[in-house]
Formats: sequence, C-alpha cells, structure tokens
Amino acid sequence: MKRHQISAVIILLASAAVSFLAGGEMLEMRAPDVFYPSASLTRTGRLSDYCPSLKGTANDTRVYYFEGAQSGPTALILGGTHGNEPASALAAVVILENVEVPAGRLIVLPRANESGYTCTDPMEGYPQYYSIQTPGGERRFRFGSRLTNPVHQWPDPLVYSHRPSGQQLSGFEARNLNRCYPGRPDGTLTERTGYAIMQLIKAEKVAVAFDLHEAAPEIPIINAIVYHEKAEEIALNAIFELEMEGINCSPERSPSNFHGLSHREWGDYTDVNPFLMETSNPIQGRLRGRTDEELVVKGVSPEYLKALRSGALKITYEPGGEPIEKRVARHIDAFRKVVSAYNQTSSEPVILANLPEYADIVKNGVGAYLSPSAPGERPPQ
Amino acid sequence: MRRGFIIGSALILLLAIAASWTAAQETAAPKAAGAAEGVKFASPILISSAGQSADVKMVGMMTKRLQLDAKVEMMPKPEQLAGIKTLIIVPGFSSKGLGAAGISQKDEMARVTALINAADQKKIPILMVHIGGTARRLGQSDAFNELAAKHAKYMLVVEQGNSDGFFTKLAGETKTPLGIVKKIPDTMPALEKLFK
Repeated sequence: MKRHQISAVIILLASAAVSFLAGGEMLEMRAPDVFYPSASLTRTGRLSDYCPSLKGTANDTRVYYFEGAQSGPTALILGGTHGNEPASALAAVVILENVEVPAGRLIVLPRANESGYTCTDPMEGYPQYYSIQTPGGERRFRFGSRLTNPVHQWPDPLVYSHRPSGQQLSGFEARNLNRCYPGRPDGTLTERTGYAIMQLIKAEKVAVAFDLHEAAPEIPIINAIVYHEKAEEIALNAIFELEMEGINCSPERSPSNFHGLSHREWGDYTDVNPFLMETSNPIQGRLRGRTDEELVVKGVSPEYLKALRSGALKITYEPGGEPIEKRVARHIDAFRKVVSAYNQTSSEPVILANLPEYADIVKNGVGAYLSPSAPGERPPQ
Repeated sequence: MRRGFIIGSALILLLAIAASWTAAQETAAPKAAGAAEGVKFASPILISSAGQSADVKMVGMMTKRLQLDAKVEMMPKPEQLAGIKTLIIVPGFSSKGLGAAGISQKDEMARVTALINAADQKKIPILMVHIGGTARRLGQSDAFNELAAKHAKYMLVVEQGNSDGFFTKLAGETKTPLGIVKKIPDTMPALEKLFK
C-alpha cells in the first residue's frame, strides 16, 4: 500500500469516527426528559388523543391532568413551545412537580413542541443540555430548537402561507408552532400539533390558557403578558398585582392582524382566555458572546452588560444577569396572578396550591422545587 | 448704627441665600406625586394612548377603581373632546399595540398631534401619565413621550421611566411640574390627589 493510500484510509477512519460520535450525540437528544409529576396527578394522555394523525409522531407529546376533588374551571399551561427558551419549559416542569389542585383542573404540556427538543438551532452553537442542581443531585434537561426538527418536517416552503388567513411569512416559520395555530388535522407536523392543542382547548373546555416564552434582551416585548382583547381585564388586574409586588410587567394587546400565534388564534377560535408570557433570555440574543450551559442557567453575559452600560441599545437586561431562577419565578408568579384574576371573574374558581413563591424560587433556586432524580427511578406516568 | 446696618444686611443676605438654595432644591428634585400644590384636574376625563401601548388600559383600570368619570379611547378624534375637562395622555410605543390598532407609527403620531393641538385650542388641560418604565422609553417611544410632555400641565411618571432624568430635563425646559412615583400601583393615590 502506498503512502497516499494509507493517508486516505486514516482520514476516512477518522471521519467515520467523528461522524459516529456526532451522530450518537444527535440521537441522544431523542431520549425524552424525565419528569416526576406531583401526587395530585390524576391521569396522563397524549396529544394524539385530540388529533389521531399525530399518533406515533415526534410530537405525540404527553399531556398531564390534575383534577381537583371539587369541580371547577380548567387551566392549561404550555411550556416548550420553543425549545431554546428554557425558563418556559422549566416553569411548566416546576408546576407539574409541585402543584396541588383542590378545585378545578390543571392540564400541563411541558414540551408543547417535543420535536423541537430533538435538535438545536443550526449556526447558534447552543449547548444540547443544561443541568439544575437539586437537593438529591443534578437533573439534566434538553436545550432544544425554536422550530420543529427538519428531520420530522422537511422541506420548508420558500414562503409559509398561514391557513386560513393567507398571511405570508418566511418559509422556516412553517416549523414554528407559534405561527401554526389554529392548524389542520391533515397539515404538516407543526400544523397538526397546533390543531391538536386547539382541539384539546375545545374538548376539555379550557377557561384560561398560558403559553410560556422567552425572548432576547433586545426584543421590545419582554417581561410582558400578551393577552387577547377578551381577556384584557384579567391581564390588567394580574399585572397590577405583579407590580404591587415590585415585579415589572408590561401589558401587550395581541394584534388582531398577526395570525398563527397562540394569544390570537386560541382566543379567536375557542372560548378560552389566552395569555402569552415573556421573560428576558440572554442566550437568545445576538450580543451574547460565549454560548454555553452557564449562560442558560446563570444568564450572565458581559457583552449585554457592556451594551447596558453604553446606553446605545434598548435592552432588558439586569446588571446582575438574568438567572434562570428569576425567569422561572416570574413565569410562575404571573401564572398564579392571572389565575387569581380569572377567579374573580368566574362563578367557580380553579384553586392551585403548593406552587413556590417568587421570592422563594429566587432565593432557593429552581432545583429546590424539582424532584430529585434517583438512579433507575422512573416517573409515575 | 453702622454696626446694626451691617448685622441687618448680613441677616438679609443669609435669608436670601437660604431662600435661593431651597428654590434650587425644589427645581432640581421633582416633587413627590400629587405634591405639586394647586395642580388640580377635573372630570370628565378622556384617556388616550400616544403610541398604542396597553399602559393606557392600566391607567383606565386605575381611574375605574378610583371611580373617576373617565373613558379610555385608543384612538380618539378631536371631536371626542367635547365636554371633556381633562385629557390624560399615556405615552409609550408598542409594535403589538400598533398592530392591534391597525395603524402605522407615522399615522399614530399625526393622530396624537391633532388631538393634543385640539385640546390646547379648547384649553383642556393635559395630564401626562407615563407608567411603562424602561419598556416605554428610548427607541420609538421617546418621540411620543416628548410630544405629550411638552403639552402637559402636569407629568406623572413611574420612577423607572425617568432613571436617566429624561422627564426631569423636559420638566425643567417646559417648567411643568413633575410627580414621580415608585411603582405603577402608586400612580393610583397620585391620581386621586390630582382629581379629588
């Protein structure tokens, strides 16, 4: 064998080894995160219960039901519409693992777009996982993508035409769950997911529903509650209560001519009072610099601090960073305040208990409110 | 005689210095909300946004809780000022709000300018209430903030929105009294003082 042939074989073997290792890492992300629902869990289902064409797909995500002993209205909370917005998913998990429901009902989807958790966004250098320290050890969660994995929905159209409005957006938005409501039972995977969630809201007669999000510090709508016009009074009362506690929150009306979003379509097509909530997440921003697990959890970015001090940009970034405990605490507190404001308008309340307070989450960390994982332990599903 | 004159002059000088110092302090530091003596507004009230942020709805909710005779209109026309005794302008830009209203930023600016000019012509006092903090500052918000501030009889601002002294500077330029409150809920007692 000549020398150049030996070199070629070595390079081929090295390439195969790298591909094998990278492929393994990619496939590892398909293993779902493990959750430990609270003892109040009464049953679980699948999203395909509301759209049979989702059965067996990556987005046949688990639905958790907490049914109170006393009858009452139903609340729905969605985490993980966008996999790269970790506080949204983590807030839903903290609720899932702690909540008690004495009256009414709570439905939780901690991973609304499960497919988005099987990959990360290309060209962003995002970590695949982040870990939260709990009293019983570390728990690892997937950091996903904003969009449905292209392996599950491909190719993107050049232009995404939203149905039924006909609104046109960039092609990749066809894989954005929060542009695909009200969805279609025979559409793309993302449209079917949107359709299933709409059907869930209708079938379960959901009265108040939440879609949790995060956004880059330079996005104008941060630390805000976006509401459908029919839920205005509830949103304003909740924001007033948040402000009373010193938690800044801006009210934002859902634009009636921007289609495909949860706060618009849930409100237009069902009887639910819809709310979308946003926190500030530096890892999504363009100025973030070093992109790693620490930025996900601690939310400290020297680049954003520099931007804040320069005053050249309008950004929502605290000098001490935007740690995940603060973002999760904000979501949970806003959720609680909105439910409480809804209860003032309803003849029957939905009562949610045992949810950690804002100050306690900030002080003790998110991990204090997550079930400790134990080797070999399986969640009670 | 000469000694008494000198002591008297020194006392007058000291008093003048003390009075000037107090006046300077009052100019430099904005008064606590509602503390501007003599500034009062009357009902009925028309509340309008300038920039279409939903902050206007928050102010509307507070006037409702105070049982003031007020109505919130997102895009009132000058004709709607008939019978109105106070125009509250709540400035702050919101892209979602403009989308909800189906109006461009340019058209919103023209609408607010026309409304403010009509109020000035009819001698209807304008109360500017800025509650949106940093979320309703800089960027596209400040043009609306400045427009409202320059025509206001009184400015009521939640502290965070004035962290760079923007409203203090405007208040100094236009000699408009400025009330600063800590948090949004503190706006409510401040409004109560101004209207009751």
